[in-house]
Amino acid sequence: MTTKSIDITLKVWRQKGPGHKGRLETYRADNISTDMSFLEMLDVINEQLTLDGREPIAFDHDCREGICGQCGSVVNGRPHGPEQGTTLCQLHMRHFNSGDTLVIEPFRARAFKVVKDLAVDRSPLDKIIQAGGYVSVNTGGTPDANSIPISADIAEEAMDAAACIGCGACVAACPNASAMLFMSAKVSQLALLPQGRPEAAKRALAMVRQMDACGFGNCSNERECEAECPKQISITHIARLNREFIKAGIGSSVF
Amino acid sequence: MDWVIRTLGTAVGKKLLMAVTGLSFCGFLGAHLAGNLTLYGGADAFNSYAAHLHSLGPLLTVAELGLLALFVVHVVTGLVLFLQNLKARPQRYAVDRSAGGRTLGSRTMPYTGALIFLFIIYHLMNFHFVDKSHATIFAIVAGTFANPVQMALYITAMVVVAVHVSHGFWSLFQTLGANHPKYMPAIKILGLLFALVVGVGFGFIPIYVGML
Amino acid sequence: MSLDAKIPGGPLADKWDRHKFELKLVNPANKRKFNIIVVGTGLAGGSAAASLAELGYDVKSFCIQDTPRRAHSIAAQGGINASKNYQNDGDSTWRLFYDTIKGGDFRAREANVYRLAQVSGNIIDQCVAQGVPFAREYGGTLANRSFGGAQVSRTFYARGQTGQQLLLGAYSALSRQIAAGKVTMYPRREMLDLVVSGGKARGIVVRNLITGKIEKHAADAVVLCTGGYGNVFFLSTNAMASNVTAAFRAHKRGAYFANPCYTQIHPTCIPVHGTYQSKLTLMSESLRNDGRVWVPKQAGDTRPPSQIPESERSYYLEEKYPSFGNLVPRDVASRNAKEQCDGGRGVGDTGLAVYLDFADAIKRDGREVIAKKYGNLFEMYDKIVADDPYQTPMMIYPAVHYTMGGLWVDYNLMSNLDGLFVLGEANFSDHGANRLGASALMQGLADGYFVLPYTIGGYLSGVTPGEVGVDNQAFDQVATDAAGRIDRLLSVDGNRTVDDFHRQLGLVMWDHCGMARNDAGLEKAIGQIAELRGEFWENVTVPGSAGDFNQSLERAGRVADFLEFAELMCTDALHRKESCGGHFNEAYQTEEHEALRDDENFCYVAAWNHTGEDSAPDLHKEPLVFENVKLTQRSYK
Repeated sequence: MTTKSIDITLKVWRQKGPGHKGRLETYRADNISTDMSFLEMLDVINEQLTLDGREPIAFDHDCREGICGQCGSVVNGRPHGPEQGTTLCQLHMRHFNSGDTLVIEPFRARAFKVVKDLAVDRSPLDKIIQAGGYVSVNTGGTPDANSIPISADIAEEAMDAAACIGCGACVAACPNASAMLFMSAKVSQLALLPQGRPEAAKRALAMVRQMDACGFGNCSNERECEAECPKQISITHIARLNREFIKAGIGSSVF
Repeated sequence: MDWVIRTLGTAVGKKLLMAVTGLSFCGFLGAHLAGNLTLYGGADAFNSYAAHLHSLGPLLTVAELGLLALFVVHVVTGLVLFLQNLKARPQRYAVDRSAGGRTLGSRTMPYTGALIFLFIIYHLMNFHFVDKSHATIFAIVAGTFANPVQMALYITAMVVVAVHVSHGFWSLFQTLGANHPKYMPAIKILGLLFALVVGVGFGFIPIYVGML
Repeated sequence: MSLDAKIPGGPLADKWDRHKFELKLVNPANKRKFNIIVVGTGLAGGSAAASLAELGYDVKSFCIQDTPRRAHSIAAQGGINASKNYQNDGDSTWRLFYDTIKGGDFRAREANVYRLAQVSGNIIDQCVAQGVPFAREYGGTLANRSFGGAQVSRTFYARGQTGQQLLLGAYSALSRQIAAGKVTMYPRREMLDLVVSGGKARGIVVRNLITGKIEKHAADAVVLCTGGYGNVFFLSTNAMASNVTAAFRAHKRGAYFANPCYTQIHPTCIPVHGTYQSKLTLMSESLRNDGRVWVPKQAGDTRPPSQIPESERSYYLEEKYPSFGNLVPRDVASRNAKEQCDGGRGVGDTGLAVYLDFADAIKRDGREVIAKKYGNLFEMYDKIVADDPYQTPMMIYPAVHYTMGGLWVDYNLMSNLDGLFVLGEANFSDHGANRLGASALMQGLADGYFVLPYTIGGYLSGVTPGEVGVDNQAFDQVATDAAGRIDRLLSVDGNRTVDDFHRQLGLVMWDHCGMARNDAGLEKAIGQIAELRGEFWENVTVPGSAGDFNQSLERAGRVADFLEFAELMCTDALHRKESCGGHFNEAYQTEEHEALRDDENFCYVAAWNHTGEDSAPDLHKEPLVFENVKLTQRSYK
C-alpha cells in the first residue's frame, strides 16, 4: 500500500432540478490521497465548497461498500468509473493520475429524471419490480424450506441474477437507455427457481410492458450493460427473459 | 387480437420481429448466394438458373411477396426501434465511451440497415425491374459490372451487408433466447463466418463478372 | 410510569402460543379502516409493512433512500440463524435461545429471546417461498455454516450477500402490496418527529427530501424500524444515512430509550487510513475460521510482516484462549486487539491494526480452497487497500458495527407510548449486551413477519380508527417545531461544516465510550459533548435552503440529534457500574481481563426517560428475571 497525492481537474454536471438546464462546472481537486474512494474525494470537494460559501455537489450514496446501489455517476463516459465490477463508492483514486481531467455526469435516460446535480430519480426501476418482480406468497403458511430440492447449480445461477443492486448503471451504459439487464435479472432469478414458476408467464409480460411504459429504450444487444454492471450480471439472463417472454406471449394463456 | 399488439408491440416483441425477419433474411442470403454461384459456371449456367427460378411461376411471386412482407416488417420495426431508442436518452453524455461491449456492427446497425435499404431498391431497379426481353440476365449483369463505378458500389454494399450481419446473426439468437454458455461461443464464430462468406461470396461476383 | 413488559405467564415454551391466543383480533372487514405508518424499509420495516398490508391494514411506508430496496440491512454479509437442525448436529429452539441469551451476556429478556428462536425456522421457510436463493448442497437441500462461535451449523446464507437477498425478498413482498394499492410508499422522506396526543402516538412529521416540504401523516399506530445509532461514532460500518433521529425524536416525545450504551464493536474491519475517511468496511467474521491473528512481540517493530520471524510474533488470541483461539466472540476479540495496539504492538502506518494471516491456511489447504471460501472478501480487501491477502497478511481493526440498545418495548414490541411500536435494531429487545453473528437478520425478520402482525392487532382492537387526523392541532405544533429547527440550523451561518463536528464527536465517543470505558473518561466525554453541542449551534455552517434537495441540511439535523444522544449514551455507560458484553468498564473486569458482571445490582434493563432539554434523564429499571437459565461467567479459555 503506497499512499501518494494527485492533483486532478473535475468537470461536474450541475443542475438545480429536473426543470432546469444544467452545465458542466470545473473544479480543482488538489492533493487528493490515492487511498481515497471516489466519493470521499467528492466529500473533500464539498467540504471546501461549503467553506467557500458555495453549494456542494449533490450526489446519491449510502452504504459505501458496493451493495446498496444508491451511488453511481458517469465518470469520463463510464458509469461507476473505469474499473470493471466496481461501484463508484469502491472506486479508489489510485486508478487516476495527476493531471487527469474527470468529467462527472449523472446517469442519463429519459426514464431517470435529474433530481439535482448528479442525483437522479430511479423510481421507474421500482415500478418494473412492482409489475411482477415477486412471488405472490403471503407471510405464513409456507411449506418447509427443504420440501422442494433445488440443484446447487440452479441456486447459484439464480443468485448470479439476484446479485443485482438496482443501481441503474445498465440503463446508463446502454446506448438505448434500456432497462433490460435490470429487468431480466429479476425475471431470470424467479424463472430459475421452482417458487417463481407458477406466475412466470404473467411476470414476464407485465414487467416488459411496464418497462416500455416507463420510457426506457429497447435492447439492441450492444452488451454495454454487462460490461458495466458492477455485479457483472450476464446478458444470458436477458436471453432467458426473452425465452420466458416468447413462452408467455405465444405459448401461455396469459394475455 | 389486442394481445398480439400488446405482445409484439413491446420492447421484446419488436426485437423478436427483427430477429425472426432477420433470420429469414439470413436464409435468403444463403439461398441467393448459392444461386449466384452459378455465375461462376458462365452465362449458360446462370441463365438456366434464372429460367429455372422463373419456371416456378406463381410460387415465385408468393415468395417475392413474402420477402417483401418480411422486408416491410424489418424496416418499419427497425425504424420504430431506432426512433424510440433515440428518444430514450434526450440528453446525451458529454463524454461517451464504450466499456467494450459494442462492436462496429452493433454500433452501426441502424445506419448499415438504412444503406442496405437503399441498396436493395437500387439492386432491384438494376436487375429485377429491368426490361429482360432484349437481353439475358447474364448479359444485364455483365453489362452493369463492366462499369467500375457500379462494381465499386456493389462491393461496398456487400461490405455493409457483412457488417450488418456480423452483429445481426448472433444477436438474433440472443433475442430468440438461444444464449447458452455452451453454444453461444460457436454461434458467435458462426455469425462472423457467415458475415465473411456473405461479404466475400457476393462481393467477389462483381469482380469476377467485371473481369470477364 | 411503570415498566410492564407484559410477558405472558406460563412455561417459557408456551408463552408465545398462549399470548397469540389471548390477543384480541381485529375483524377482517375492519382492518382496512386502520391506518398504520411504518418508518424504514429494512428487514424489519419492509417485512412488517408487507405483512400488515397482506392482512388488510392500510399501510403507509416511509424510507430515507430513493427506493425501499436500499435500506442498510442490505449490507449484512454472513447469514441468518435458524434452529432448523437440518444438519442433525443437536440444534434446537432451546439451544438457539440459550446461545443468544448467553451471547448477550444475560442482559436480554428470556421470553423475547425464546420467541425469536421459536419463529426462526418460519423465517427460512418464508424467504425460500419468496425466491431467496440460499446456498444449497448438491442434493438440493439448504446449506448451513457455523458462525459467530456457535457450536452448531445453523446459519443459512446466500454467498456473502445474505442481508441483500433477504431484504430483496421483503422488498418484493412490499412491492407486491404497493402494486395492489395496500401500501402507499413514500421514498426520500426523513422522519423529523413523532406526533403524540392523549398519550398515544398519532402520526409523524416528515421532510420530503427532494422538495424540502414538511409533511404530516396521521395513523392509528406508528411502527419505527429505523435501525441503529452506530454513526454517533462518525466512523462505523453503518451506511452514511443511518441515524438516530427518528428514535431520538420519539424519545424526546416520551418513549424510553433502553440500554443506549450497548454497542457492538466488530473485530474484523479494514483499519482507518486517513482523516478524510467516511466509513469503515467490515470483513466478514468468517475470516477468523482460517486466519490467524498476530502482532509483533516487540513494541514499535516496523519491519514488514514477511521479515518478522515466527519466533518474534505473538498470536495473542491463541495464546490467551487456547480452546476458542481466534474464534472468541466479537467483544473479546475486539478488546484484545485494542489492548495490543495500546501496548504499542499495533501494525501499519497508524499503529492501529493487527494482522490476520492466511499463510498457514494456504499452506495447509492450498490457495484454491482458501480462494473458494474467501475469494470475494480477499478481492474486496484488495480493491480498498490495494494489498493482496494471498501474499501479505490482512490488516484489521475493530469498528463500530451494531447497537444493541434502542427504544424500550414490551413483549408486544410496543414502547411505553401507546401505539408506538419499535422493531429491529431500533428496539433494544433481543440481543442483551452483545449480539451474536447472524442474529440481526433473524430478529429483524422475526419482528416484521411473525411478531408485529399478531401483536399490533391486540392494540388496534381497542382503538377507534382515525381518531386523530392531520388537522388536529398536535400535528400543527410538531410541524411548526420541525420547520423552526430547520430554520435555526440554516441561520447559524458559522465557520465549521457539519461533518467537521460529526468527526469530532466521533473521536470523543470512540475514545471514551468505545471498546473500553472508565468513569473519568465518560465524565470527561459528557463535558466535551455538551461543549461541542454548544459550539455546533453557534458555529455550524449549512449551505443551501430549506425548500430544496439539501444533503448538508439532512446531515445537520442528524448530527444535531447525535450531539444530544451521545450524552445519553455516556450517561447510561457511566451509570452501569459493571461490564457486560459490549459495555466494558475497565474498573470491572476479571483477572483475565474479561467483562465482570454485577448481577446483583445491574441485572436490569436501563430505560431512560427524557425530562427536558436542560435536566438529567430519569432512569427506569425493568428487572430481568431468569427462570430458565443459570447466570454464569462467560469463559472462552
